[in-house]
Amino acid sequence: MAVQLDLDDIQGLLARGYSSLRHARFTIFAAREPAQGRALLAWLLPQVTTAGPFRADTALQLAFTPAGLRRLGLPDRVMAGFSAEFAEGMANRSRFLGDLEESDPRSWAWGGPEGPPVDGLTMLYASEPDVLRRRQAELMQRFADAGIRDVTELDDLELADQEPFGFRDGISQPLIEGLPKAARGQRTVPAGEFVLGYRNNRGQLADRPLLPASADPRRLLLPDPTGSGQADLGRNGSYLVLRQLEQDVDGFWRFLGQVTRAPDGADDHGRQIALAAKMVGRWPSGAPLVKAPDRDVPALGGDNDFGYHGDPLGLACPLGAHIRRVNPRDSLDPQPAASLDATGRHRLLRRGRRYGMAGDGRYGTGLYFICLVADLARQFEFVQHTWLDNPTFSGLYDDADPLAGSRRPSGRTFTAPARPVRHRYLDLPQFVRTRAGAYFFLPGVSAMRYLAQLQDTGPAPSAGR
Amino acid sequence: MPHQLGLTIRATVTAEQVPGLGKWLAETARNGVADGPFDFIRMRGLHFAKLCLLEETVDLDGEPIPPSLVLMTEVDAPLRRHLAELVDVAGDGIDQAFGYCAGYPGAGACRRARIGWLRRHLVSASAVYVNTVGRGLEQIRQEAKLREALQDYLDQRDWSGLAPAEVRRDLQAHVAGRADLAWAMKAPAPPSLLFRAREAVHKVAVPLALLALLPALTAILPVWAVLLRMAERRERPLTQRPTLQHIEELAKYEDFVTQNPFAVVGFIKPGRLRRVTIRAVMFAIDYAVRHLYNHADLAGIKTIHFARWVPLDGWRRMTFASNYDGAVEAYNDDFIDKVWWGLNAAFGNAVGYPPTRWLLWGGATHEQPFKYILRTRQVPVPVWYTAYPALSAENIENNAQIRAGLRGDMSPGKVRHWLSLL
Repeated sequence: MAVQLDLDDIQGLLARGYSSLRHARFTIFAAREPAQGRALLAWLLPQVTTAGPFRADTALQLAFTPAGLRRLGLPDRVMAGFSAEFAEGMANRSRFLGDLEESDPRSWAWGGPEGPPVDGLTMLYASEPDVLRRRQAELMQRFADAGIRDVTELDDLELADQEPFGFRDGISQPLIEGLPKAARGQRTVPAGEFVLGYRNNRGQLADRPLLPASADPRRLLLPDPTGSGQADLGRNGSYLVLRQLEQDVDGFWRFLGQVTRAPDGADDHGRQIALAAKMVGRWPSGAPLVKAPDRDVPALGGDNDFGYHGDPLGLACPLGAHIRRVNPRDSLDPQPAASLDATGRHRLLRRGRRYGMAGDGRYGTGLYFICLVADLARQFEFVQHTWLDNPTFSGLYDDADPLAGSRRPSGRTFTAPARPVRHRYLDLPQFVRTRAGAYFFLPGVSAMRYLAQLQDTGPAPSAGR
Repeated sequence: MPHQLGLTIRATVTAEQVPGLGKWLAETARNGVADGPFDFIRMRGLHFAKLCLLEETVDLDGEPIPPSLVLMTEVDAPLRRHLAELVDVAGDGIDQAFGYCAGYPGAGACRRARIGWLRRHLVSASAVYVNTVGRGLEQIRQEAKLREALQDYLDQRDWSGLAPAEVRRDLQAHVAGRADLAWAMKAPAPPSLLFRAREAVHKVAVPLALLALLPALTAILPVWAVLLRMAERRERPLTQRPTLQHIEELAKYEDFVTQNPFAVVGFIKPGRLRRVTIRAVMFAIDYAVRHLYNHADLAGIKTIHFARWVPLDGWRRMTFASNYDGAVEAYNDDFIDKVWWGLNAAFGNAVGYPPTRWLLWGGATHEQPFKYILRTRQVPVPVWYTAYPALSAENIENNAQIRAGLRGDMSPGKVRHWLSLL
């Protein structure tokens, strides 16, 4: 039976990455008073873009941290319905997520214990720079009018096909069942893996905050789809992971230059690219190594129709290559089908944008990594810890992700399987550092309508975290 | 090579000593146990050790169960040597820990009195899973060194263009020529003859006995199944989420190295039917881990180094404890995907477990309630020791295969495969 997604209640980011809106600006904010937050929310609500038919030249999305939801007036017993990882917050999960040393949350621009408080996030997208400027100015004026002074703008965002290291990015995305673009006979992922209140891969509903019907006398919320009679605050919402990942582009290519240098000391550009491709699992064009093992084939640039079963030893695409770790496809289990089922439970809907190409350089260049999931532990955190950062992934010993992995306490090796024996690269530097981040909840429209009309129930939480 | 034991020592903690013990555990956790009062690193054949406090509780009939301290070790045989070393090597730590327990003879008492006391507080396990039976600590350490040596040797030159067989011959010659590695050219010795004979007899005797009992079992099984299904239908599921505080307490001791400790304790459901069922299931698990899953694989799960099932308090409670690779989320997912039936058979008899159907179905496949109840029943392991913190179970098995491939004739295809292990 086809899933009916409530597209007019779901925020648009779940349905599209706004590739036609090339310019974007995000704003992190915190209100001091509950009334300020609710006034802002009431003003923003009609402007929030949904997943329904879309043709506009701008889009706005809105998400909240636990602190923000509390400040709007959600009581503890409702907050307890959100996942434990969301309640703990990204900064408190730093050991698990590999955010250590230079990526320590204490040094984060925001989201860490020393940074400004974070209640929520607005994400503004526009087709033209001047449209973006105008709408963002309007938004900033609203923040000021509402008396919200803790505002951090994340500007200099750019939609680009290539990530800063120079590789085509964003090729592989899960196709969500029930969305118009999924109707092409490809393998789809159940909506419940990304949107709360729908069935997931196991045919089950992820936990979400439910309220007794009496807490919603005006019936603003949708009912719990299981028929419990409770009001469903989570339905049509999603968890949003936002991480500012700074990429050391110079360091990356410097390292590649050092380890591929010819005996006479000359740079070997071809070998640099080839080794970088081994680390990524795709060539700069995006062509996957399992299909183009020896040289880039730009015609395969957007190819996403491949598996690793024909390359069990990683001779074409190394076992530790970035794309083979973050989505091992059919290679985790001796049975390809069982592996696809297993990896299907760890998919991320990515919505990241690169930054810093024309900025002041304070945080260099990199990626605002964004993903949407229904289960932070099983999806984002699992991929980060068990696949990306795990030095023993896939039978390896000391190989964290060659691009983005944490090098502490281990994981400084990259192994490229070869005949007769492997090539091994030791002492990889840290190429990617986490500079900021937080877990957000991207509510459905009815949930936001409910949040906007909450009343003060007790003393407001103190400003901050 | 020796076989491996899963030792459990449990002693009652007097109520007024609990806060002191809690503080001592937290402090010891901060300082680590490889050295210090336990000096675990010097104990022979010790793979893993954990110490945890089981808090005071009441059983399902309201009878109080006093708090207790549990020491679990995974160690190479013989038991006698290990018990002696707990006093001779780890004595300071053991004295401090069990000093909080009722009746411990104390640091002043003689060695024999303390060893005797520990022996009297042994609790026997219903089943102990060993990733690879007979692979001792010494062998694991040696083979890890062997792999590192070969890797370093490979790094020293460019091998491209050489035939795989030539590379292998070179590596063989290198190992044979190094006094510190020459042992690797021989196969590791198997466990003792006595142990192997005992296991062989058990392997055959159990099916024979079941065959003899077959007529009786055919009569009993349908009745048992119906009674069990009726009991399952009467039970009301109860989804209990772990508190954030409990999760944070558990997480404090997790995810530092390749492996993690795991320990859950739960009550067995009341009634004779469940008591009989859990014993029968444990009998089956014992057989399975000894004879079917005794090499690098527990029904498809390759990340568990050791696991044990230990009945407590006269089968009123059951504990499951293990040492596994990776994070608890991945561990639980593996369980749900690969051995849901095995989990259901055992944990389905525990209070709070998601409802099962005919014991084997349902249960763990209710992902969220299953993960919640496991986390809720999980006991923090503040004091934990691993002898090889950087090695996954898969690494250890790979190292053994590298060594095995140094010996004997090999087809060209086999040689290529062997080289890919490096």
